[in-house]
Amino acid sequence: MAPRTVAPFGPQHPVLPEPIQLKITYENEKVVDVVPALGYGHRGIEKACELNEYPKNIHLVERICGICSCIHGISYCETVERLWPLEVPPRAKYLRVIYSEMSRLHSHLLWLGLLCDALGFESMFMQFWRIREKVLDILEATSGHRVTQSISVVGGVRRDIDAEQEKTCIKVLQEVKKEAESLINVLASDPTVKARTVGKGVLTKEQAILLGINGPHLRASGVKEDSRMLGAQAYSELGFEPIVETAGDCYARALVRAREALQSIELQLEAFSKMPEGEIFERPKGRPPANEVTYRAEQPRGECFYYAKGNGTQHLERFRVRTPTFANIPSLLVMLPGCELADVPVIVLSIDPCISCTER
Amino acid sequence: MIENLKEITKDTLLQEVQKFADAKARFVTTVCSDLGDKLEVTYYFNYSPGVDMSAMRMVVDKNEEVPSISGIYLAAVLVENEMFEQYGLKVKGMAIDFGGLMLLAKDSPVLPMVKDKAAGGKGGE
Repeated sequence: MAPRTVAPFGPQHPVLPEPIQLKITYENEKVVDVVPALGYGHRGIEKACELNEYPKNIHLVERICGICSCIHGISYCETVERLWPLEVPPRAKYLRVIYSEMSRLHSHLLWLGLLCDALGFESMFMQFWRIREKVLDILEATSGHRVTQSISVVGGVRRDIDAEQEKTCIKVLQEVKKEAESLINVLASDPTVKARTVGKGVLTKEQAILLGINGPHLRASGVKEDSRMLGAQAYSELGFEPIVETAGDCYARALVRAREALQSIELQLEAFSKMPEGEIFERPKGRPPANEVTYRAEQPRGECFYYAKGNGTQHLERFRVRTPTFANIPSLLVMLPGCELADVPVIVLSIDPCISCTER
Repeated sequence: MIENLKEITKDTLLQEVQKFADAKARFVTTVCSDLGDKLEVTYYFNYSPGVDMSAMRMVVDKNEEVPSISGIYLAAVLVENEMFEQYGLKVKGMAIDFGGLMLLAKDSPVLPMVKDKAAGGKGGE
């Protein structure tokens, strides 16, 4: 038997935007074992959500993660609204969809850029991030913030999108679509990209289900599952269908995210065309009653599970968030053993890890 | 209200979880809550492909030991470690045992999610 070496992958590594460590044991450049080490970004947000009054938690959950911020805020509000239950105005539902999809679009463009960066395809990395800036610009123009939009409140949304802003959004989204299509075509057909991703980190459909993975990671293994199918907000009125690939490798995961970025633009354009006029906020009456509810949202990285338990006071008895990466990390323990050491960065990146979300 | 919720005991836990695994259900997560002198543990599953969820709930004493389900669903290993270090739930036989140091550090508050512990300070002080 060849000698075995244990090497740390992270917590600081060029492909990791956030800190996580994988203790990798390898033998002749082949990975034989992996143990994750977490704990670099735990902030006790679930505990803080019990200590704060429930409206203040919106700002707290939006800071679970920068990229998923907007959907965390919206989902927290949707979860708390279910405790009453409380119906939000139809226009607010459409605005929540639009902001959620803008978040997904910029997150997927960010990830596609990071994938190119991990592969050494620097010019493509810059192109993806260049068009992502346009999405951040319209987020800033409509919500006032590029990153933490803080758009949702319990009972609706904080700001409307007026006719002039709507025109700007549609124009920018059409430009982004055209440019993204062109870049994705290059990415999907590039032989070097294929050489580094096809057949790497394969998970079969059966393995994916047993490992409890979710989001684009799960859909790339052929499972047609997406929390948007539940039809929350206005998704039931937009004819949403999940995007699925079957190969279960890094290339399939990239294709799912690339196609979802384009689908996200279509969903926003459709939402703009169908969005009704009217109020955007209905003030909740009283306090969240003693009740317990769950809610599932589709974050860019996958299904996010929320649990809230009210006790009739301004405080929640319990609030729990199970983020997508928390459920996707165990799949690395199956995908990495047996792979070449050089493939570790791309396989790790292929689950789109978000450590801020994972540790909360 | 939690839909499709079934009450179980720690003695029937593994048997009930195995039924979900046999039915090709996906493990979603576990939620632990402090009830004062007891802990409430709820396991959530999802039938893939699809959107329906089912849940199982057990209530155990704080000093009771419960079996790990990570032998059936490896995905449960992180949340079981989290319940141990945040609530003190004693889980026996976890596939990876972080020894109470998965999210917390040696000088972190002890059992921070337990209701009678203070929110901050070393050792829950």
